[in-house]
Amino acid sequence: MTTRDSYPSLAMRLYSVWYRHMRVYRSNLLSNGLPPFLEPLIFLAGIGLGLGRYVPAFGSVPYVTFLAMGLPVTTAMMTASFECTFGTFINLEFHKVYDGMLAAPITVNNLIIGEMLWAGTKGFFFAFAVVAVTVPFGIIPLPGGLIAPFIGFITGLMFASLSLVVTSYVKTISFFNFYFTGFLSPMFFLSGVVYPLEELPDALKYLAEALPLTHPVRLARAMCMRQLSAALLFDVLYIAAFITLCGYVALKRLRRRLID
Amino acid sequence: MQPSAITVRSVYKSFGKTRAVNGLSFTVKQAECFGLLGPNGAGKTTMMKMVYGKAERDASPEGVINVLGFDPQYNPLNVRHLLGVVPQDDNLDGELNVYQNLSLFAKFYGLTGSAAEIAIGHLIETMELTDKKRSKIRELSGGMKRRLIIARALLNNPKILILDEPTTGLDPQVRHMIWDKLRLMKKSGITMLLTTHYMEEAFQLCDNLIIMHKGQMIIEGQPRELLAKSIEKYVLDIVNKDSTDKIFDCLNSPAIRADLSTETLHIYSSNIEALNEIASRLKPGDYFLRAANLEDLFIKTTGRALDDAG
Repeated sequence: MTTRDSYPSLAMRLYSVWYRHMRVYRSNLLSNGLPPFLEPLIFLAGIGLGLGRYVPAFGSVPYVTFLAMGLPVTTAMMTASFECTFGTFINLEFHKVYDGMLAAPITVNNLIIGEMLWAGTKGFFFAFAVVAVTVPFGIIPLPGGLIAPFIGFITGLMFASLSLVVTSYVKTISFFNFYFTGFLSPMFFLSGVVYPLEELPDALKYLAEALPLTHPVRLARAMCMRQLSAALLFDVLYIAAFITLCGYVALKRLRRRLID
Repeated sequence: MQPSAITVRSVYKSFGKTRAVNGLSFTVKQAECFGLLGPNGAGKTTMMKMVYGKAERDASPEGVINVLGFDPQYNPLNVRHLLGVVPQDDNLDGELNVYQNLSLFAKFYGLTGSAAEIAIGHLIETMELTDKKRSKIRELSGGMKRRLIIARALLNNPKILILDEPTTGLDPQVRHMIWDKLRLMKKSGITMLLTTHYMEEAFQLCDNLIIMHKGQMIIEGQPRELLAKSIEKYVLDIVNKDSTDKIFDCLNSPAIRADLSTETLHIYSSNIEALNEIASRLKPGDYFLRAANLEDLFIKTTGRALDDAG
């Protein structure tokens, strides 16, 4: 055996971090892989079909379709948020997984960015699952719906970076309840997922525009409906700036947590 | 002369107001086993973390850490590529089996495909884990987990191995087996930096060692030399304190050094006659007369006070 001359390339380092998370996820394939397909079915059956009968069609689409177009995004948000709060915290504090990885030729930045890419991948997969179970029922229109997983990936990156910032402040795991109940859940109802934002009073409309979830939801719906407009550029810019800013803060703050 | 593997000069490390490492300097030669000894909180683990860039030293122009030509603080990738770390905690991936743990880690070094397979197969055999190849981590005993962690640290054929209390909590059989493995690695030219609370382990493995206390070096040398030079040859442990009255008058003799812990009186001397004479006044079950060891030196240099702050 000989030692390689040099440490692995950046791409290989990021891939190996991503691969670690994928490998651990895959080791419980049934319990990890099935719920993403079942959950949207339950949600759409319960809320969409049940409640949808009392709600008139929104413009040209039935309510259940309106709701389903936002669902790939919200499910991507939730999975990335879980991954980068509870998941990251457990790896960090209880299993000491990162301590092990930082003994190998991996930097803190590689570690965090690899984690974000993995959360993005989960966002993609979960969004794909929503599309996969709704398309056969004709709920999400094709071919626009095929773009949804990619928006799921970007949503995953957004909420991975935000969640990592939150995690960098957390000392006790139960603190995450504030983030989920106090921020993510209310945002679900204020980001144009369950009803169109146009109906809201002005103040709430501005608030909704400030919230991160609004923008990928709008993008996803526009893609599904194939209604592209220049106004969507604002959403794209918001998303890019959000990932960059939160990602930067997460890197800075988690570094202090990982390196003594 | 061979260049040193690790050079540490005037290194300080503070956590808030606590100085964990306080102006430490030492040099580890290539292919030697170097021991960092000291009570809990002495700064051993912090020093080790600084060697592989898991901790950063306080900024100071005099402070130097050089590992095979690289500064771990600024070139962590170069350093981590060349060394393997056996940490104090078991940080294996509990969801995966033995083989998967190793192949996952091999990727971190850029080892894939058949090169990884060969390296992993070889290490599983060397560490006597062949029967457990497909076992989940939670099915392993403490000794197996340790061996797996050592195997993991050896994946990239490192030049330096960092061992933070590698045998703590293991039974004597496993400990001796691990010592043998480490001796083999040393023979193959791997440099080792070792911390341990077992003085016997340090004595068995280390070519050189330092004893640290409160972040500073107290004493440095080869274990045998230190025993010859820095501590009396023999110890008389008097375990029944009530019997010390009988020998009270001897305690002022310049030939001996007495050290009282809560329940035991330890009398040190290089003059066996003097100790024999004291022992002759005691009942047989009340004392042990033995050769001094590294533990006695450790206690002599770091004191008996507990320092669990770290």
